[in-house]
Amino acid sequence: MKNSCGKYSSEEISRFVDNELPTQTYDAIQQHLSTCTECSAMVKNFSSLSDIFSHHAAARVAQMEKGTIAKHLHSTLQKKEKSTFGNHFEFLGKHMVLKVASLAIILMISLFAFQNTIFPPTGPSAIVKSVDTDFASVMIIETQKKKHTIIWFNET
Amino acid sequence: MLRFIKITILTAGLFCLAVHPVLAKKTVLTDIKVIHASTGKNHVDPGLNSIISELESVFKYTSYRLLKDETLNLNFGQKGQVNLPGKRTLEVVPIKMENKRIRYQILIRKINRIIFKTQVLLKNNSSITIGGPKFKKGTLLFNISGSAH
Repeated sequence: MKNSCGKYSSEEISRFVDNELPTQTYDAIQQHLSTCTECSAMVKNFSSLSDIFSHHAAARVAQMEKGTIAKHLHSTLQKKEKSTFGNHFEFLGKHMVLKVASLAIILMISLFAFQNTIFPPTGPSAIVKSVDTDFASVMIIETQKKKHTIIWFNET
Repeated sequence: MLRFIKITILTAGLFCLAVHPVLAKKTVLTDIKVIHASTGKNHVDPGLNSIISELESVFKYTSYRLLKDETLNLNFGQKGQVNLPGKRTLEVVPIKMENKRIRYQILIRKINRIIFKTQVLLKNNSSITIGGPKFKKGTLLFNISGSAH
């Protein structure tokens, strides 16, 4: 599209405003503007529009960047906190490893001390280690139900 | 942190010492039941309820009478003695703890002559029955239980 001046198109004027033209063309347009009021008015229009866009875009980008950075930082921190081993055991507070180790030691000692109660010996109620008698007939019996040991000898 | 460890160890230590004296077993509560088993009229003394099912699963006797029930609190190595019918005596000596069991020496004398001698490893809080001597148309059974404290 060309304005009523007809020398430069609106696209060329727009590119002039945006400083996107080769130096030669840029200089030629600049020289032309000093004599052409129509092209000057178009440059003024494009400049004001460009200013509006630039200002709005800059403000928008600045706002977006600020929000995005804050959001990004927040999510990164959250991920880091979640992935931290200590965070899962925060109820143990500081020195978590030492506390867990001390609890483990206590548990081991307790198990050792209580093993007689927790793990009573299995097998018969009594294990006969030796029998000495004048009588020939001695029987050692173990009941089926409670594995009660009975020693039987014939006193005859 | 140090406070936490101190409190935990102290609590555990007190708990172990107060609740469970297994760490320092010194005496053995030995209970000896002298039973007369026979084929007479059906009878089971109430004092034999804890072991009667085991005896009846092995023996064909119909009458179980508790003649004597003596509890001896013995130290390890200390001899306990119970007089039995028919000029017999029963001697028990808890020797030591061995593999969570009490090693007992058990001896039966008849007019100062040893007629039976055995060494057994008795499960703590459990019992053994020794039988055989004849008495009044029946048989004598000796149930010996031990509990180390």
